[in-house]
Amino acid sequence: MIRPCSLLLAMALPASALAHGAELTATPVQAIALEAHFDTGEPMAGAQVQAFAPDAPQTPIALGQTDADGRFVFVPDPAPGRWTVQVRAAGHGAITYFEQGANALRVTVERPQDWGQRALMVALVAWGALGTVLFFRRNKRG
Amino acid sequence: MRCLILALAATALPITVQAKTLSLQVTGEALATEGFTAPELTRDGWTISFGRVQASFADVTAWRTDPPFAADGPGIDGAALPFDGTFTVNLAEAGEDGRIDLATLPAEAGHYNALSWGLVPATDGPDAGYSLVLQGMATKDGQEVAFTLRSADRIAYACGEFVGDTRKGFVTDAAPGQVEITLHLDHIFGRADLPADDAMNQTALGFDQFASGGTHDISLQGIHLGHVGEGHCHDTTL
Repeated sequence: MIRPCSLLLAMALPASALAHGAELTATPVQAIALEAHFDTGEPMAGAQVQAFAPDAPQTPIALGQTDADGRFVFVPDPAPGRWTVQVRAAGHGAITYFEQGANALRVTVERPQDWGQRALMVALVAWGALGTVLFFRRNKRG
Repeated sequence: MRCLILALAATALPITVQAKTLSLQVTGEALATEGFTAPELTRDGWTISFGRVQASFADVTAWRTDPPFAADGPGIDGAALPFDGTFTVNLAEAGEDGRIDLATLPAEAGHYNALSWGLVPATDGPDAGYSLVLQGMATKDGQEVAFTLRSADRIAYACGEFVGDTRKGFVTDAAPGQVEITLHLDHIFGRADLPADDAMNQTALGFDQFASGGTHDISLQGIHLGHVGEGHCHDTTL
């Protein structure tokens, strides 16, 4: 019942008003979740996060900053191969890697949680998202 | 005669950095060349300038590892490129970028994403027997102190990939690569611009205990001096 009324209303509006239409699509994706913290347990808040794609390993992709809990979630572009992620703040940095295959993300190097003497660590988790709608950040390479 | 002409021509060519080489550099960053100056004073408020930040390195090896070495232990598996010899350098005398070139070797193409080395006592010279010698002036509240701190510790470092403004260690047909030993002197003295309960300040020596001046022997155990840029290393006191 709503659909016809909406159509009539749209026809009566000036053309410029049509630009205010909005569309929302929810797509299940696989994401990478980072968690960076110092060995004291203190979250690495506001740290710079960069990624390097497999086909351009020396070109940084600025992703953003970790949140107050040292966390950051992103969806990488689908380029297959080994991705590299750096997290840096206050003169300290950590690096980790993950593999993106044809069908799935696969974490190949994960920082152990009991890495006692490191100044900071990055835990890296690949999220499977089947049936789950994620709030995620889609970042373009630039 | 032809050989002689070729040789003369070769010597006339400008020196260029060749591709498919890997260079080893070392730095103590700005803290070595410029010292501890406000706001980056020592954790207990001293200003320090260095005349010497002398360090000796041996058993330096660059590695290509797959999967990448995570610096979570002393052993690195991969293709090794050893830089033979011992290198004793004064990091306070580094050039404008704070780095000193130690050696350059022909290298196979690839990503040298791990580095191991030893901080070892010098075998000759006036500082024989010491792996690290810090000599300079410290000032605080009008007090000026000439000091020499020296360590005889022998420490093995096993590090993953360099972390910094750029990624390093890529050797290609078109471009040479670099690997870098980085010493973080703030792990020895601490930093006044960081909280007192910061993990680094908790283990740092500070300078108050050396305020009498003169020469002091120090231990580097528990102090994570060696890095690769901002990246961390596993260290083992030998």
